[in-house]
Amino acid sequence: MANLQIANARKSYDNKQVLHGIDLHIEDGTFLVIVGPSGCGKSTLLRMIAGLEDITDGTISIDDEVVNDLEPSARGCAMVFQNYALYPHMSVEQNIGYPLKIAGVSKPERARKVAEAAALLELGDYLDRRPAQLSGGQRQRVAMGRAIVREPRLFLFDEPLSNLDAKLRVQMRIEIKRLHRRLSATSVFVTHDQVEAMTLADKLVVMNAGKVEQVGTPGEIYRAPASAFVAGFLGAPAMNFLPGKVLQQGNLHILPNTEIAVHSQELHQWTGREITIGIRPESLLLGKPSAEGIPAHVDLIEELGGSRVAYCRTDGPEIAVVMHGDLTVREGDRVSIGLLPEHLHFFEKTNGQRLGGGQASQQAQASRAMHVAFN
Amino acid sequence: MSTAALQPVLARPIRRSVRRIGLSAELLPWLYILPAVLAFGVWIYEPLIRAFMLSFYEWNMLPFSPQKWVGTQNYSNIFALQKLWQALGNTAIYVVGLLPMSVAIPLAVAIFTHDLKGRWRNFYRALIFVPMIIAPVVAAAVWRWLLDPQHGILNLALQGLGIAPIDFLGDPNFAIWTIILITGWKLIGFATLILSAANANINPSLIEAARMDGASSWEIVRDIRLPLLSSTALFLVMMTILLGAQWSFTYINVLTAGGPLGSTTNIYYLLWDFGFSSMSVGWSSAAAVVLFVGFSVIAFGLFRMIERYSFYDN
Repeated sequence: MANLQIANARKSYDNKQVLHGIDLHIEDGTFLVIVGPSGCGKSTLLRMIAGLEDITDGTISIDDEVVNDLEPSARGCAMVFQNYALYPHMSVEQNIGYPLKIAGVSKPERARKVAEAAALLELGDYLDRRPAQLSGGQRQRVAMGRAIVREPRLFLFDEPLSNLDAKLRVQMRIEIKRLHRRLSATSVFVTHDQVEAMTLADKLVVMNAGKVEQVGTPGEIYRAPASAFVAGFLGAPAMNFLPGKVLQQGNLHILPNTEIAVHSQELHQWTGREITIGIRPESLLLGKPSAEGIPAHVDLIEELGGSRVAYCRTDGPEIAVVMHGDLTVREGDRVSIGLLPEHLHFFEKTNGQRLGGGQASQQAQASRAMHVAFN
Repeated sequence: MSTAALQPVLARPIRRSVRRIGLSAELLPWLYILPAVLAFGVWIYEPLIRAFMLSFYEWNMLPFSPQKWVGTQNYSNIFALQKLWQALGNTAIYVVGLLPMSVAIPLAVAIFTHDLKGRWRNFYRALIFVPMIIAPVVAAAVWRWLLDPQHGILNLALQGLGIAPIDFLGDPNFAIWTIILITGWKLIGFATLILSAANANINPSLIEAARMDGASSWEIVRDIRLPLLSSTALFLVMMTILLGAQWSFTYINVLTAGGPLGSTTNIYYLLWDFGFSSMSVGWSSAAAVVLFVGFSVIAFGLFRMIERYSFYDN
């Protein structure tokens, strides 16, 4: 177990900066997940921690020791690669035992440790097989076995589940979580999959365009996203964004023609300014057409089994609404979309930064009664 | 539209045109492979069968002279020739002598130049590949000048160092090794190209995984690169065994004509010599059949080995 400290880490390729000063602190035993869209620099950051990429500027320390100039093997990290990177010419046993062989561990000791890791990962029956003779999930476990057997200070995972089919991915996700609970090893897990990120993380880092957008627990980030980017990236279906304007006494005008009483103290200072309002699809309510709510008609309904998502056309942007229960709404129906003010998120229109604490963070547990006023 | 409905619409025009030229759909695939079958038939199998048949006849290759059936006499005659055993022995020397230049050196060059960047990479590539693109007869002529016992630059250099000039192509102790070196010099580029491609094809994350596992550069070569290059290296070994003697043919023909005292002749040169110098087609064909059977057995064994050492990384 180890702690990891990243201070002002930068990375440039041919004078083009791809990571712009990353600061992170990861405590002993934490499962940290770095999530972000393709090309945001998350894998580069992981590879810098591993020692596979040079650090252009800044420092990375493991257990308070700066590791910038250390070889990958000297950093005490083990990595699980996206394509598993199993040695195709070695058996499962040789693959798992390879780091020990390199470290000069005696044969009997090596066999004992490999057997231990194989038992933990239920690979005992496959030790003589070559990677090509294994299924995707088994290969994934061999890759983890090779990481575990070294007893590293730090586990690094580079999108290890993205090559698996949907069912296996969920299964392996749970296995990784169990394994972490059992070994309590400090882990850094990179993914672009928000469900993996939310379910695995003790601490979540959302990255975008080479910068950290937000760090927090999955719950904190979900409830109070620091920017419109984070809000839109986490959550499926994605958060709805509506243009709005702050009126007197912190009330809101949602463009083009809905007015809502919010009574937010924080919004007062933004009076007269245009902002972006974020609402999660699960925080909206569909009702019969009435004078209340945003008038809309249902364009498309997605059936998800447990719930359905209605994509509604309004005079403004399209709005997605999660429908629970047996609400009898059909495609083409005219409806009214009801807002719960305590579930609204406010973002600056220009740079997408969150405005104040936001209603959602403060009053998420507030009454679910409708407090919507319309004109 | 369902697929069932779509299919007849797409299939109809093809069927119609097939019917028009009077071919059933079952014949079509055969039509596609016909050019390849014809080429194989005319250039490979027909000559093979012809050679097998000719090996039982005595004939001097003149179109109007009769072919006389002699049974297996051609075989017993060639096996009684000391020249054949010398040529077979030399063929083995050619193969063994070429292996370092067709496999070992290219393997080392491919691995150690893998990480070269920019200008140095281009420089080494040019250096290695230039011999490959020179026409063999031209190369042979140039080597003849370079190796000339009196005026060749190599001997002038040796004389400058106080060493007596060496008749590289005329001394039976040197001639075969000279031909081997020239053949190998021509080969290195090709073999390096093949091995560099195989080396570049190794998944870089395997190398990264090995680095994470603590492997040093040498351990990565020993444990990852060499095992993964083994099937390509074996392929080159096979090519050298099967074709090494053929590759040297031009240089033997131009530089030594098999001499001095048969010291540079090999089985291919002997075949050619039987057929086109001595005009004894029966002997030439008998030697060719023996060679074909012998090399088929070797090729079969090597193919099995290549399969065994091929690791597919997916």
